[in-house]
Amino acid sequence: MNRRDMLKHMVAVAAMSTASALFPGIVFPNSQFENFISEESLTWKKSPCRFCGTGCGLLIGLSKGRAVAVKGDPASPVNRGLCCVKGYHSVMALYAKDRLTKPLIRKNGQLVETTMQEALDLVAQKMKETIDKNGKDSVAIYGSGQWAVPDGYVASKFMKGGIGSNNLECNARLCMASAVTGFMTTFGVDEPMGCYEDIDHADVYIMWGNNMAEMHPVLFSRMLDNQMRRGAKIIDFATRTTRTSMASDKSILFKPQTDLAVANAIAYELIRNGWLNESFIKRHTTFKKGKTNIGYGLEDKFAFTDEPKEASFEEYKKFLEDYKPEIVEKVSGVPAKDIRFLAALYGDPNKKVTSFWCMGMNQHTRGTWIQNLVYNIHLLTGKISTPGNSPFSLTGQPSACGTAREVGCFTHRLPHGEVTSEHDRQHAADIWKIPVEKIPAKPTYHTVEMFRALDRGEIRFMWIQVTNPMVTMPKLKRYRDATKKEDRFIVVSDVYPTPTTDIADVILPSAMWIEREGMFGNSERRTQHFEQMVDPPGECISDAWAMIEVARRLGYKDLFPWDKSNHVQEIWKEYSLFHQGLDHQMATYEALKSNPGVMWPCPDGKETKWRFHSKYDPAAKGGSWDFYGKPNGKAWIWIRPYEPAAEIPDDEYPFWLNTGRVLEHWHSGSMTRRIPVLHQAVPESYAEINPDDAKELGVRHGDKIRLTSRRGTIIIKASINERGVPPQGMVFVPFFDESLLINELTLDAFCPISRQPDYKKCAIKVEKA
Amino acid sequence: MNLKNILARENRVIFISICVVLMASMIIVIGQSIVQSERQAITTPMSAASLPLLPEESGVFRLADQALFYLESAKEQGTRTLSIYYQRRAFNGAPPVIPHEVADEASFGGNTCLQCHENGGFVPKFNTYAPLTPHPELLSCRQCHVPIHTQNLFKPTTWRTVAPPTINRSAMAGSPPQIPHGLQMRENCLACHGGPGSVKEIRTPHPDRTNCRQCHGMAESNEVWVRPLVSENK
Repeated sequence: MNRRDMLKHMVAVAAMSTASALFPGIVFPNSQFENFISEESLTWKKSPCRFCGTGCGLLIGLSKGRAVAVKGDPASPVNRGLCCVKGYHSVMALYAKDRLTKPLIRKNGQLVETTMQEALDLVAQKMKETIDKNGKDSVAIYGSGQWAVPDGYVASKFMKGGIGSNNLECNARLCMASAVTGFMTTFGVDEPMGCYEDIDHADVYIMWGNNMAEMHPVLFSRMLDNQMRRGAKIIDFATRTTRTSMASDKSILFKPQTDLAVANAIAYELIRNGWLNESFIKRHTTFKKGKTNIGYGLEDKFAFTDEPKEASFEEYKKFLEDYKPEIVEKVSGVPAKDIRFLAALYGDPNKKVTSFWCMGMNQHTRGTWIQNLVYNIHLLTGKISTPGNSPFSLTGQPSACGTAREVGCFTHRLPHGEVTSEHDRQHAADIWKIPVEKIPAKPTYHTVEMFRALDRGEIRFMWIQVTNPMVTMPKLKRYRDATKKEDRFIVVSDVYPTPTTDIADVILPSAMWIEREGMFGNSERRTQHFEQMVDPPGECISDAWAMIEVARRLGYKDLFPWDKSNHVQEIWKEYSLFHQGLDHQMATYEALKSNPGVMWPCPDGKETKWRFHSKYDPAAKGGSWDFYGKPNGKAWIWIRPYEPAAEIPDDEYPFWLNTGRVLEHWHSGSMTRRIPVLHQAVPESYAEINPDDAKELGVRHGDKIRLTSRRGTIIIKASINERGVPPQGMVFVPFFDESLLINELTLDAFCPISRQPDYKKCAIKVEKA
Repeated sequence: MNLKNILARENRVIFISICVVLMASMIIVIGQSIVQSERQAITTPMSAASLPLLPEESGVFRLADQALFYLESAKEQGTRTLSIYYQRRAFNGAPPVIPHEVADEASFGGNTCLQCHENGGFVPKFNTYAPLTPHPELLSCRQCHVPIHTQNLFKPTTWRTVAPPTINRSAMAGSPPQIPHGLQMRENCLACHGGPGSVKEIRTPHPDRTNCRQCHGMAESNEVWVRPLVSENK
């Protein structure tokens, strides 16, 4: 007991005895002065939420080295003090009993405990052996949009600057690759021009296949608030009826894949009615067309390169003749009057319109095209890069933007630019102080092809971090079998046992989230720093540090000279060198530590809310819009047709299978299912089926049904008229449940431009089980 | 030239002048509309209405109009106890779970939850009074509140949190107790402390005195202030 405690105690005792003398019989609970911990006396520290791409600011209550409570950070402009049920209970994900705390090595088929030093030695040794035997492109790292920025940066430097292989991919390929190629093809630079503040300015929100009420609930609440207070309108444009539909002012259903046709029909109507911003089109856009009939990537080694060709407004107008609302109505099932209604909303010069989308448009075999087409609408009407006028691509993972996209954890990317560019390679080589020849100029495998290469045997060693591909890969069986083949070595870094650690040869226990220091970057270009708040359990270390340890063992000490105590700060400093300049300047480490997130570009410490308009963006020149990612500052309006899905329901497999998430669970459920409240709310996955289909099959709510595709089958409980209702001929299944792996059924068709698979459309049959 | 012609000519003048006036006004109207259509959609942000910042004081008086009703209905006692209150929460301050079946999985606040939880009242089905939400303006109830469909866990947990505050927190007998919890999302005192749906042990005997924080201060710290010694001041 120190002097201060002693004094306090004396004061307390004195107060109590005085009170007892004055009021005989008064009872003081012991806790009043001693045991009670006031909520306000917990230590509260800021962190972005661990889960989705919204990036809510949390305040985490700490007591005696443990996280014990969460509240929303009122200072965060993202969520302004409000969280969702996942955020409020997020810290409980640290504390499930089966946490991986010791490294495990597979010996004679059994996983046995070992020390971290030994495990890292083995990983390094296996990596070296594999490279010696099969070449440097036989080893790969498969990471995640849940990597903190330092993890992704170390992975990029290790693979591209150290080993000299472009075999680096991450699960963001399955999540937002189409968003990236959409931005790149239309604007030439990645990530949204607007920010969440658009919600407070827009008059209309149009949700393109986006169940925001469940997937981005905090942003949805902000829209509801604007709907209630200002009369802003929410329009739900989707393939099934969800909670978002229930809260929207109008819900319009379309048949899967036909969003392409409807987007073109909206453009047709804009032109027919003259609802165009002609001066904007003339000054800030140019017309392009690309290849058509571009395939679905179903075969191994599928290759595709688009060739943009010049086009004209006249050509575009003529192309749109095929997309008259009456024609599109037949394909899409959307009544012509609803198409005209949507066009009228976009076309009204006095309405500010924000479009939102996420996986519906990203996980799409024409994912890049549909992004182009929605941008077209915003460009034709000039509704872009100003408050409330925003085509807004949301992300699903906490650092899909911050790590996967900005650090560039893809085979074709560098922390700034692409490996195919001599200039970008030189830039990276200068910062990394390595010869430029070290960085290979040719991209190798995108995610699906990387797992196919593992199957074929071109890749023999894979290090999987912070992701669960044995739940999330489409056409799962092929890729799971690939990992089990002879002479494949799989290392998995994770926090809990998952179907992916089940196939691992080495499991490295990771320090997660607030057990280490890091940064996440959310959907609105906001970078958020979190410090280490609690000690990681057992021998857990951060993935960044695990890779640094292995890289050093392979002789790349010079690339990773940092000390464990300050490596995150040093990494941030070095990484920031890649993003110098008005268009991508990152906040300083100090600014990140003291702010609830900072949006880039932030030259001179001033963050940019809207890009591409000189009024808000210091990188934009001229008096108005400047799409500086493209030559002449002009954004591209793309002529992109409707093309059907890769697999369409037929007589044998008559249902569409659509997959996705639920509010309570996040990603593959390995964290949220270990949070008691969330598991108890949604203990298992289910199959939503239309009531009429159910009647025909003789199935009632809770009955078991068998779903079968050409690739696999599962038995699962039917859900009828519950949270979501698919139209007739569609089944929806959440993918979080590792005992009901819906990805056994899905198809590995992908967008040929983004190489992102389509998890929303394949053909299945449904039987009563 | 006869009268008819003159009239016709005058008519013509009138007719032409009407035409001129019409054309002029047409030019003005069309011109204005062209100018309007050339203008960009309004780009200057109008003062944006923002989400309530959840300032501590904003909800204090929200249920003040119910105060007299609460005073009247003080005899009707709800069954909610403090231990039930904490059972529903993973930690003190966490959003409570929904302890009953939900009628409609897909619907939104105003149509379902708020029917009972906005203004309260006796619910025969559960034989008790509905607790009130302190934030009826947030409509997406299921964003934070979820029903429990199983008592099982996916995996056991080692989660533990700090003990909730104790009651009877008056410094002296009869003095107003402190507020032992944060006010974020809980700034509307009467939602939990007033009326028959409130928690038994912490129900105020005087819901008609609506300026709660006149007498009840925050327990921001459990430290007793001690004047630092001179040597510590250096």
